[in-house]
Amino acid sequence: MIDRRAIRNFDFTLLITIILIVVYGLIILSSATHATMTRGGDADIYVKKQALSFVLGLVGIGIILKIDYVRFAKYAKFIYAMNVMLLVFVRFFGEEQKGAQSWISIGSFNLQPSEFAKIAMIVTFAVYLAGKEGKLTKFRDLIPTFIFFGVPMMLIILQPDLGTGLVFIGIYFGMMFVAGAKPSHLMVLVLIGALLVGGILTAQLAFGFEKPLKPYQLDRLTIFVDPYKDPKDTGYHVIQSMVSLGSGGLWGKGLYQGTQTRLNFLPEQKNDFIFSVVGEELGFAGVIVLLALFYMFVFRGIRIAMKSKDLLGTLLATGIVSMIVFHLLVNIGMAAGIMPITGIPLPFFSYGGSSMLANMMGVGILLDVYLRRQVLTF
Amino acid sequence: MQATSIVIRKRVTRLFIIVGVVLCLLIGRLAWIQFVRGEELKEKAKLNRMDDIPIPAERGAIYDRNGEELVVSISSDSVCAFPPLVKDGDPEKTAREVARVLGMKYETVYKRITNNTNFEYIKRRVDPEITQELKELDLPGIDIIEESKRSYSKGKLASHILGFVGYDNKGLDGLEVKMDEYLSGTQGRIVIEKDARGRQIPQALHERIPPIPGNNVWLTLDETIQYFVERELDNIVTQYEPKSAVIIVMNPETGAILGMGSRPDYDPADYGKYPEQNRRNMAIQLNYEPGSTFKIITSAAALEEGTVKLDDRFYDPGYATVGDRRIKCWKYPQAHGAQSFEEVVMNSCNTGFVEVGLELGGERFYRYINAFGFGQKTGINLSGEGKGILIPQKDIKPVNIATIAMGQSISVTPLQLITAISAVANDGILMKPRIIEKITDGKGNVVEEYTPEPVRQVVSKETARQLSLILEKVVNSGTGKNAYLEGYRVAGKTGTAQKAGPGGYVQGKYVASFAGFAPADDPKIALLVLVDEPKPGMYYGGQLAAPVFKNISKDTLRYLNITPELSEEEIENREEQAQVLVPDVVNTALEDAQVILREAGLKARIEGEGSWINNQQPKAGAKIPAGSEVIIYLGQRGGNIPEGQERTVPDLTGMTMREAGQLLGSLGLQLNPEGTGVVVEQKLPPGTKLKSGAEVTVVFSPPVWEPSP
Repeated sequence: MIDRRAIRNFDFTLLITIILIVVYGLIILSSATHATMTRGGDADIYVKKQALSFVLGLVGIGIILKIDYVRFAKYAKFIYAMNVMLLVFVRFFGEEQKGAQSWISIGSFNLQPSEFAKIAMIVTFAVYLAGKEGKLTKFRDLIPTFIFFGVPMMLIILQPDLGTGLVFIGIYFGMMFVAGAKPSHLMVLVLIGALLVGGILTAQLAFGFEKPLKPYQLDRLTIFVDPYKDPKDTGYHVIQSMVSLGSGGLWGKGLYQGTQTRLNFLPEQKNDFIFSVVGEELGFAGVIVLLALFYMFVFRGIRIAMKSKDLLGTLLATGIVSMIVFHLLVNIGMAAGIMPITGIPLPFFSYGGSSMLANMMGVGILLDVYLRRQVLTF
Repeated sequence: MQATSIVIRKRVTRLFIIVGVVLCLLIGRLAWIQFVRGEELKEKAKLNRMDDIPIPAERGAIYDRNGEELVVSISSDSVCAFPPLVKDGDPEKTAREVARVLGMKYETVYKRITNNTNFEYIKRRVDPEITQELKELDLPGIDIIEESKRSYSKGKLASHILGFVGYDNKGLDGLEVKMDEYLSGTQGRIVIEKDARGRQIPQALHERIPPIPGNNVWLTLDETIQYFVERELDNIVTQYEPKSAVIIVMNPETGAILGMGSRPDYDPADYGKYPEQNRRNMAIQLNYEPGSTFKIITSAAALEEGTVKLDDRFYDPGYATVGDRRIKCWKYPQAHGAQSFEEVVMNSCNTGFVEVGLELGGERFYRYINAFGFGQKTGINLSGEGKGILIPQKDIKPVNIATIAMGQSISVTPLQLITAISAVANDGILMKPRIIEKITDGKGNVVEEYTPEPVRQVVSKETARQLSLILEKVVNSGTGKNAYLEGYRVAGKTGTAQKAGPGGYVQGKYVASFAGFAPADDPKIALLVLVDEPKPGMYYGGQLAAPVFKNISKDTLRYLNITPELSEEEIENREEQAQVLVPDVVNTALEDAQVILREAGLKARIEGEGSWINNQQPKAGAKIPAGSEVIIYLGQRGGNIPEGQERTVPDLTGMTMREAGQLLGSLGLQLNPEGTGVVVEQKLPPGTKLKSGAEVTVVFSPPVWEPSP
């Protein structure tokens, strides 16, 4: 099956980039978890689990590559229905962790459906939009897309998982733009969104309404503006993250040498704030290397979008790239104190099997689109 | 086939550009945090993980002019451990050594020094010799910290001047707060690295910055003279039950305060038990109408300006009329009749002084009032000094001048008045009053020295000498007769001021005072005695304050080794008297003491109750004329602490029976032990006030260390 042509059409650069990112991530994860595990237990347990997820992800890529992405169209309705059902299920029967009801336990495994929901959404939305080529010229043409996209997104926001919801919005705009929606229409949407958010914040901050966000949620979302308002509690994360980044300087304190990381001043160092570990231990240089690797990934992704043989492939690639880019922006922005603390992972770095698997599936789809950019006849 | 349409490729390209721009902004933000704010955040990261354990600095002592300790810090060593550092070394060997030196159980020590904390006390209040041995052993992770407690060794003596410290050894009142920056020293620090939960970490950083002990403050005060002052104040309180009383002894040549005290007073070691009113230093805070003592100032001004001469004639009909006011002399309805100016002063005649004041006039009079320092702070190194109250010069009317001339319609502080009178004693030169002599560091080097500061020449030397002679006559044959002191030339002036209240002067409320200096021809001390609102009956300054003046000046002049020079008249009046040595009768029974004193040719004056001599005054070895009195203070047997003196129960927790017994014994208290081991409970909590000789019941139990959290 895998013949010479297939090998020629395989994007090795993308795969190597991903492997480099993951290895980099594992090294950092090892440092981030070393501190927490010095008091007994297997110090490498997290690294091992993460590596296992990566291998599983590679298998997943292999499976996806066997399927021609064009055939996604056939299963789109089924995938969409499954996705919504799973999200509804987790809404009522899921387990709560860190204040969000977003987990399903199967035996000893904990799955996070919202991670996979992103991939499912990209696939189904791409299929949906591919059929709308040239039919998105009027503003009212956008309304069905709201409903199509809005239902799963609202389910996630209600978990509540605002971070993933934010990524959904990123995916939506990226894909809509490429699918041919008028930029002016999208700007109107952005404006409406901004007014809505502004309105809610004004109502809650200035007039003391306690809905839709609970006061503590509001505090967490707005504290990044001035973390020293509450340095011991809500502002603690941002302050410690900035201290970690800033104390790293150009070359960092050296791997395993970060005092903020090693002494547990930096919270959530293996998850949401793993970027700050990079900044502290490897400095600005390490940060630039990390961003350069992701740049390469985005570049290859965009290139695949452009080389795709049809609109569906372009949309799939756009969706995946948008997802990764938004994760980067929101996660790093949070670590750098310019984004609200919403708690979303840094792709391929943060510890978490669901996230790793979902991201690897995304990579699989990118490779699949590239692999099949010419009509192949076997 | 063309992969995708040109339009779509354009859109994808645009999207890529947007993403690129946003990522660049993010890099910019990161660069700003890591480079621009790098240093500041690095410092924060360091603060995050450094634990600071402060080491208190020993507070400096306060000495009198001869180096007698008035306030000291009693320091004790505490042995502590830094478990992470102990574990870096050989904890078992360390524990063995520490246990041996401190005489503790090995298990106990081992448990403490390997505890899961950063810092641990092993034993507090340890003998310096023992800690010295530990210091020499230089065991890893074992350190000695010096802690100190304030001790006011002389009880209430000079309490208003000394002040007191709070629980954290910070000065709260008096010199303790005024001189805090000198006394407090610089705190040392022990810095240890920790993690986010404050736990130990391996290979931790460890740094010790030793404390710098505070400097010592030396006062101009003389403990013995201060003792005379306190003794006389106590007598005044017993006899006259006044609202307040003040005595100040000053060296007129240098402005040095030799003794200064007031009542009501308080115990600095237990300041919380006294009303706030008791903590006011009346000597510098009280504003009062000086009455006739102020006539010294009036006379000085008038003599200097030449508006009056010694033999100017005055006539007193018993009152003076100023405008529509009639000002009565104190002798009214009788009158002094015809008299010279000298006699006016000797008689303290109001009528005469009204005339002198009016002749002088407001403008000239105020020039002298200001030059003598009234209406302004003297600038003494004590906090809370008052300024007195003057009628503004522009509002002054003749009737005010007339009353000010006799010491009314003007408020002064006791310190202002004695400073002004000292200027008369000091050939007309006003000195700035001083309470601090010098400041020395721990090695005895002088850090700062306070030298006598002449303020100005207020009146000429001739005027001052002239006035001294008149004031001497006041004592020899005028209103101040009760201050007359055989063998010394004393100059002074009485004062009796009716107190002003709402709607005029209040009947029955007086301030009785006496101010003066001695010896008149070469003054060594200037002295002010003030009794505010004595109990009804006796209120004349000449009756109340003059005898006190006499007592203090007699003791002080003898103490200062100023030999009495008897005038021919005095020699005739008495037979030759030999000087005798005062024998030591402290710690003898009353009957024996009386015999010893009698044999020495001295009289005994008994103070207090009991049958055992706890103290005496003057002390043994002093030379005094035969037939003089020696005051013996009676009490119970057991410590030379006068009975009735309050003792404070110390914190005995953790002490062995021997330690507790010794400590209580040194305080004149008795130990009543229950059980064996170390003190776990005391029936009277630390800080309880007891009469000396009382019993303190203490419960002992074998030591058990509870594990530290």
